[in-house]
Amino acid sequence: MSSPSASVATPIASPSFRISQITIWRVLSLILLFGAWEIAGRVPISIAFPTFFETMSSLGTMIIDGRMAKAYAKTLEPLVIGIGLSTAFGIIFGVLMGLSRKFQWIGEPIFIVMQAAPMAALIPLVTFLYGIGVAAKVVAVVILAAPIIVLNCFRAVRNASPSLIQMCQSFQGSQIQVIRKVIIPDAAPMMFSGLRLGVAAGFIGVILAELLITPNGVGDLITYHRSVAEYADMYAAIFSIVFFAAVTVGLLEKAEVTIFRPEKKGAA
Amino acid sequence: MLKFSLSRRVVIGAAAAAFIAISGTNVSAAGKSEMHVAFGDVPGADMLNFLAAVYRAEKRGVKVKVSYLQSEDIASQAVVSGQADIGVGTPYALIQKVKAPIRMFYQLSALRFFPIVNVTKYKTWKDLDGAPMYVHSRGSGTEAIMNLMAKKNGIKYASVSYLPGSAVRAGAMLQGRIGATIVDSERRRLLLRKDPNKFKMLPMPTINASDEALYANTNFLKKESAAINILLEELLQVWREVNKNQNVILGMRKKYNLLPDMHKKDVKEILPYYKETASTGAFSNNGGGAAAVKGDFEFYGFAGTIKGDPKSHKIADYWYLGPLNKALKKLGTM
Repeated sequence: MSSPSASVATPIASPSFRISQITIWRVLSLILLFGAWEIAGRVPISIAFPTFFETMSSLGTMIIDGRMAKAYAKTLEPLVIGIGLSTAFGIIFGVLMGLSRKFQWIGEPIFIVMQAAPMAALIPLVTFLYGIGVAAKVVAVVILAAPIIVLNCFRAVRNASPSLIQMCQSFQGSQIQVIRKVIIPDAAPMMFSGLRLGVAAGFIGVILAELLITPNGVGDLITYHRSVAEYADMYAAIFSIVFFAAVTVGLLEKAEVTIFRPEKKGAA
Repeated sequence: MLKFSLSRRVVIGAAAAAFIAISGTNVSAAGKSEMHVAFGDVPGADMLNFLAAVYRAEKRGVKVKVSYLQSEDIASQAVVSGQADIGVGTPYALIQKVKAPIRMFYQLSALRFFPIVNVTKYKTWKDLDGAPMYVHSRGSGTEAIMNLMAKKNGIKYASVSYLPGSAVRAGAMLQGRIGATIVDSERRRLLLRKDPNKFKMLPMPTINASDEALYANTNFLKKESAAINILLEELLQVWREVNKNQNVILGMRKKYNLLPDMHKKDVKEILPYYKETASTGAFSNNGGGAAAVKGDFEFYGFAGTIKGDPKSHKIADYWYLGPLNKALKKLGTM
């Protein structure tokens, strides 16, 4: 039994008030996390664990002296190539699998196995087949990113609205028109989600490859500074890649909401 | 009844006291219940001499647990955090930069690596001028050796790339992906055996620096001095026996049942490995000691692992030689 007055009294937050509240909570969450880090470093929980401010100071130095830029130039090369290849072939293959049962039967088991396979265990095979250069790292990115992109595209196409497809067909739409004007636009949001998750997996792939195949780029910063006990520099490199990956994936999510799900804008 | 009961309690109490006393003797001789050693490598033929010494120490009441971790850095972190008692490696940077309360106390082996080239591409050091070079990792001993040799021969590599693991670099050499690198003795023999006409070792002077040393927390070294002393005595004995006659290592493996699951192919490599390593003087008869530390200061200073003038470093800041000197006093120096 709710009285009419009670429902009237409920305040309706304006979108700008809601966004500023979200921002405050997010900033508080970060302050809490970094504060805990600072305390853990000051205790210290380990002599190999620097404080948050020491790490940020190292990060600043590494940005100014150019070490970060140099490392990221090397790390981004296989990442961008790998994500590019995974996106191009992943979308094509995923759509084909969604449209044709034969493609599905051929492709689905392969990509499911790829998705389930522990990447680190495949590194010896990758280096044996593709060597120790950029090609091996690109393959590492593709192995992690492609299955997510392909399977998301496949499921998006397969689950395209049957009523929209029937409507298009009843208006004498050709098979190509059904795909171009109904299936692809309807599947696009889920396909973009797959791309976002694929990029996140790509970051894991490239750093794994840099740690396990040839240490260069950000992986080299991590291993080198660990080996010479410069832990603030090591954590700065780790922090930078986590931050970079989070920002990239966050921007992709924002783009996804803006382009494909405008109704959810401001609700996150 | 009460008298009987009391006397029974006295007997039980005396028995318990005797048990504690006996156990206490054992503990004081053998240290704590178990000594945990962390290697930063997979078990292999190169660890047989250490495992033989451990077996003998165990016979004298020192219980040792050996773990094999993914890298020396992880092993050192395990020691610093107290998850392992003894680590294997050369943690100079850790001691100097973060003032880790650990000290090295026994040199297991000196640094012995071998520059090797594919003769279809390079034949001498001079040919490596402007060539790409592949070493273990940035700041590693292998990089320092190759930089030292480049300096000595007045050459400059086009680039220095990092390929962790001698096995990985040897594999890349066999596949023809790289033309020059530096590998350990096992992989040097592998390459020369696979294709002696294709691979060649480049000449290199002996480098006096530790490759692997035992280290532990200073508190642990002082608290468990009796157990450490037993372990060091056995290490020195085994090292001397191996230096005298490398065949003994096969007998030790069989007698003590060490690494029984080794593949037949790897078993064949045991003797050549020990013959070659012993011939290069990599196994010190006296556990390294002060002389080895001075060599480390020079070499790791050049490598950039230890900062500052090598002459300004103090041995006591990095090594704790008390237990080794005690063991040498008993066994004598060679």
